[in-house]
Amino acid sequence: MSLVGPSGSGKSSLLRAVIGLQEPLAGSVETELPPSDIGILFQDDALLPWKTARDNVALGLTFHGLDRPSALDRADLWLERLGLGGLGGRYPRHLSGGQRKRVALAQVLALTPTLLLMDEPFASLDAIVRARIIQEVAELVERERISVLLVTHDLEEAISLSDTVYLLSQGPRAQIMRQYEVPIPRPRDPVRARTHPAFAPLYDKLWSDLSREVGGGARAVA
Amino acid sequence: MWRNPRLAILRQTFVLAVLIALWEMAGRAHLLNPLYMPSPSQIAAALGELFGSGRIWPHLEATFAAALGGLAIGIVVGIVLGVASALLPFLAELLEPVMTVLNAVPRVVLAPLFVIWMGVGLASKVALSFILVAVLIFFTVFGGIRQVDRRLVERIVTLGGTRWSLVRHVYLPSVAAWVLGSLKVAVGFAFTGAVVGEFVAASRGLGYLMSFAQSTFNCALMFAVIFLILVVVLVIFAAAGRLEKYLLRWS
Repeated sequence: MSLVGPSGSGKSSLLRAVIGLQEPLAGSVETELPPSDIGILFQDDALLPWKTARDNVALGLTFHGLDRPSALDRADLWLERLGLGGLGGRYPRHLSGGQRKRVALAQVLALTPTLLLMDEPFASLDAIVRARIIQEVAELVERERISVLLVTHDLEEAISLSDTVYLLSQGPRAQIMRQYEVPIPRPRDPVRARTHPAFAPLYDKLWSDLSREVGGGARAVA
Repeated sequence: MWRNPRLAILRQTFVLAVLIALWEMAGRAHLLNPLYMPSPSQIAAALGELFGSGRIWPHLEATFAAALGGLAIGIVVGIVLGVASALLPFLAELLEPVMTVLNAVPRVVLAPLFVIWMGVGLASKVALSFILVAVLIFFTVFGGIRQVDRRLVERIVTLGGTRWSLVRHVYLPSVAAWVLGSLKVAVGFAFTGAVVGEFVAASRGLGYLMSFAQSTFNCALMFAVIFLILVVVLVIFAAAGRLEKYLLRWS
């Protein structure tokens, strides 16, 4: 599912509250999952610059009690799976933006979360790399049976990746305004999904609702 | 050859050689008073005598011991105080004004005081080197820790890291990077401290040798020692540079 909404509606805060980086101002977060089953991917990669790609991926595994050699083996496996075989020895500085994003993804997925939170994870990538990575993520999520909560300001991204899109109202004290079911069948290719007959009408509806929410000013949408 | 940037070092050496040759010729033509401005060959002779007789070694040893001792203690104390101040606000409240004052004044003014307190031996030179280096490192570490990338911290936390993992994987490497970044300046400071300390009062060391040359109006010896200090610091700079490049190869 995805959350979209005007800036300041607290989308990111909600994710941060779910993973425990900040306390909700009111109410509580209820989850049946232990924290170790939740992974989060931020907009920036935040890889440790002084560790190689495989060390970065292995880090989270060692936090969960795996010994270093097995953690490194697993890291290699995940890097391979994300198309980074052979680049494990590189430092983040020597990787492209798309490669760094994949390392960050491997870092999170290696912990086999059952819920993955993503906070505008693809915003910093250029269009082609972005489309490729989104396809890969969709595939992996489908295969590993991971639930995803995606925060984005990109309506196309929200629709093409989600079963349900929630629209948040203008903050402060934002609420879920509406909920939209996406009638495109799964598994789906997020790039092809945009040509599905149900895509355009849903996009239109979301866009007009969102525009109305920010007072007609489409420029303020972010 | 005048345009190729890769030959810059050749051109620089060439110009330097010409200048030295001119200097030598001016000396031989009695255009320079050797009492004030000895010729390059006279300086070379003084250097040759220092090494030939072997009397330079105790002086070199004394200066190196003072500079490296002050450097090592200064780095350790600077890091400890910097980290402690960054983590404990009440300590920062006490230390920061002191360090700011120490940073603002030329710390070499403390040299005569250290001689009175610790005598003319090695201790007063180590102390001067130490105070020069420690203040520098303190500010490097203190400022650095407060600027640690929040995103890295959050990343470690969300991956399941503990407080100790934060220290080990985020704070320590960050601190190491900043300290290495100011290592060259610190080396320069350490030698300044050692030489100035010896200059003020000592019985050994390059600074002592300079003060001796000054009191005996021996300009050739003076130039020889200045040259030696230059070479020593350049060599250590190069070593520090290589260490920095190796340890910061990720950046």
